[in-house]
Amino acid sequence: MKLRKFTVLAFLLSLAVLLVACNDSGASSDGGNESDSSDYPNKPIQVVVPAGAGGDTDRNTRIATKYLSEELDTDVVVSNVGGAGGSVGAKQVLDSAADGYTVLAFHNSMIINDLLELADFNYEDYQLAGTSVLDLGNAFIVSADSEYTDLQSLIDAAKERPGEINIATETGAFTHLQLLAFQEATGTEFNLVDVGAAAEKNTALLGGQIDIIPTQLGLVQEYIESGDFRAVGIMADERLEGAPDVPTFAEQGVDITFDKFFFWAFPKDTPQEIVDQFTAALENVTNNADFQAELEPLLVEPLYMSPEELQAHFETLTTEYKTLHENSQ
Amino acid sequence: MDLILEGFSLMFSFDTILIILAGTILGLIFGSIPGLTATMAVAICLPISFGMGPSDGMALLMGLYIGGVSGGMIPAILLNLPGTPSSISTTFDGYPMAKKGLAGRAFGLGIMSSFLGGLLSIIVLVLISPPLAKFALNFGPFEYFAVTLFALTLISSLSEGSLAKGMISALLGIVFAFVGSAPIDAYPRYTFGMDALGAGFNILPVLIGLFAISEMLKVIEERKKNTINQKKIHDYKIKGLGFSPITFIKQGWNFLRSSVIGVAVGILPGIGGGTANIIAYVTAKRQSKNPKKFGTGIDDGVVASESSNNAAVGGALVPLISLGIPGDTVTAMLLGGLVIHGLQPGPLLLEQNGPIVYGIFAALIIANVFMLIFLYSGMRGFVRLLSIPKHYLYPAIIALCVVGAFGVNNRLFDAYALLFFGIVGYIMIKTKFPLTPLILGFILGPILETNLRRGLQLTGGDFLPFLTSPIAATFLIIAALSVFFSIFKTQKEKKMAEESKKIAS
Repeated sequence: MKLRKFTVLAFLLSLAVLLVACNDSGASSDGGNESDSSDYPNKPIQVVVPAGAGGDTDRNTRIATKYLSEELDTDVVVSNVGGAGGSVGAKQVLDSAADGYTVLAFHNSMIINDLLELADFNYEDYQLAGTSVLDLGNAFIVSADSEYTDLQSLIDAAKERPGEINIATETGAFTHLQLLAFQEATGTEFNLVDVGAAAEKNTALLGGQIDIIPTQLGLVQEYIESGDFRAVGIMADERLEGAPDVPTFAEQGVDITFDKFFFWAFPKDTPQEIVDQFTAALENVTNNADFQAELEPLLVEPLYMSPEELQAHFETLTTEYKTLHENSQ
Repeated sequence: MDLILEGFSLMFSFDTILIILAGTILGLIFGSIPGLTATMAVAICLPISFGMGPSDGMALLMGLYIGGVSGGMIPAILLNLPGTPSSISTTFDGYPMAKKGLAGRAFGLGIMSSFLGGLLSIIVLVLISPPLAKFALNFGPFEYFAVTLFALTLISSLSEGSLAKGMISALLGIVFAFVGSAPIDAYPRYTFGMDALGAGFNILPVLIGLFAISEMLKVIEERKKNTINQKKIHDYKIKGLGFSPITFIKQGWNFLRSSVIGVAVGILPGIGGGTANIIAYVTAKRQSKNPKKFGTGIDDGVVASESSNNAAVGGALVPLISLGIPGDTVTAMLLGGLVIHGLQPGPLLLEQNGPIVYGIFAALIIANVFMLIFLYSGMRGFVRLLSIPKHYLYPAIIALCVVGAFGVNNRLFDAYALLFFGIVGYIMIKTKFPLTPLILGFILGPILETNLRRGLQLTGGDFLPFLTSPIAATFLIIAALSVFFSIFKTQKEKKMAEESKKIAS
């Protein structure tokens, strides 16, 4: 009996040792910090996408990594770390070694996670590297047989039946903020229903469980073409080149705009030379004609913002989002 | 028909066949190693597929998918370790069969069921996916809530004796699923201020810890007592397919029912193969004339589990191909893969990219055939695994489990969770609590909660629509009957037991 217990114990111990060993190897890569950063990159770079596969964050990042690995002459590997509106993956990057081999690829929700206290950190805790993609197609989509043909009919209906029209969102996501802005700008009230991420929103609209979904135009154009969906408008200054038929909100008298930008960030204290090298690669990628061509059918555009520009953009948006969020409470 | 031929011609180039072959083998390897899954195989190979053309890329992924789902039966039958969530219930009868020296029969039946179940679901996918997908759209939060509740009532049939213990186990599973950000409002629950707990426990470390680590702990403990049955398992002889054709014909109805369950569960986004095999197993047990024999190494159990999990593959692809909606984690990644290959998934995919879609169908069929050939020809080899002394084999498997758990999200936390659930599982085995209800509670709890809350958001807090939706109402009635029936049966059994005691005395 004693011997048996001992065996089990020894087994558990060996398992623990194995785990610690894994841990050590993680810690020892910290040592990479001190090594010469001039030979960066000399091993694969891990890109953390804090969202699941199949969505636009994942898509935009993966397309960029194809070109980044050419630019940097090393493998650039995406790993999806979902959870808590993206704050789990973002936190993981924050806690990883600042050696330039772990980078976060995320979007505006970083600000929103902080606002809604899903995260106790924000962009200032990172070493920003720049942006790669801009999505101006933040649209309201309805079913093709919907009674809402334009924003005005939607607003009228919402005023007539406040809180009764179902509009999809994911609590705490970028679209949530758009809805708050829309309600405030038009003095309306909708029933905000959390139906999940992009693909689930499409499902809910196809299944008729919801009246309107706010989503990226590029993610639903197939359904618009097939005659299932219709775009009511996009929250941009101008119509999109790739979708000239979709009017802007401003044209319809509702002056709200949103841009969804996809940025890259390293953990704080990553050597400046390394970040500079990555940033330069990012800029080259956005200028690459093949990259641009690949983005075109997705209704998003390449956009390079330097770390400084990105920092400034973050500051502006944070103030803007904060006001929106406070007004809605 | 032309399109099907065109699809096959796309796949019947030497290179593409080789790619499917490689994908299937790699998938089988991933599936057969506890801790590595089809999801991981696809995740790792996704970037590789981007370097290929769209048809070769998708061919590779289909091979991985089929292989990954099928490989799980190897450790399930030989070692009582479910390699993937899809093969949980394969262990119930597959392992007892192997213990009796019938590993060849278990493999034979398992492989044949996998192949035919997979084939059937692909045929369904090719022929009637648009109307099926349209029907699946009728499932909103109310309907999901009802279906999930029904699936939870299956716990009573998985409780092996004590219903109370089964319920406690299931509730424990639901409690573990609470940890992390709540669905809908992302409110952190039971995180104790630890960031790592913010994302909750991942299904993989929970499953592998509960079933694999605990099983290995148990075996280590038993090793001192006796060297159980090790000899028996590799002393057997495989003749032909491992079973007579008549055996399989007898399983015809069971096979068909389990495959249909697999397809149906696969179609519903979010539920997937991990649940399909359990539902099919329980249904087979309930409809059987000898439910008592389930768990002792009966053919029906292996057939039900293995046909349903492969059928779920075709099911999960139905909404992906016809509507652009992923049915499980693998298809979510395939969705990403399609987009990056420049194929816009959605209702027009078939129309605009017909040849490629039919190429995908062809690749699935080819991969299915390769899976059949490989598993059959490898059967004798797999069993050799058992001749490796356990003190070499188990540490290696454990190392792979840890690697697999770590690989889920590249977080060490998941490896610790694996250890934790290993200990939980071991304690549960020792105290005779069934493990399967826990995993079912863990998978279904969040689905139930999410859809309840979504439904209530839709109705503004009104419960009535949960009862007035015809589909939801049907499932709720079945759920109620299922509970009532199992209580009635336990009572009856108790009475019979008492009476037979009286007669005996």
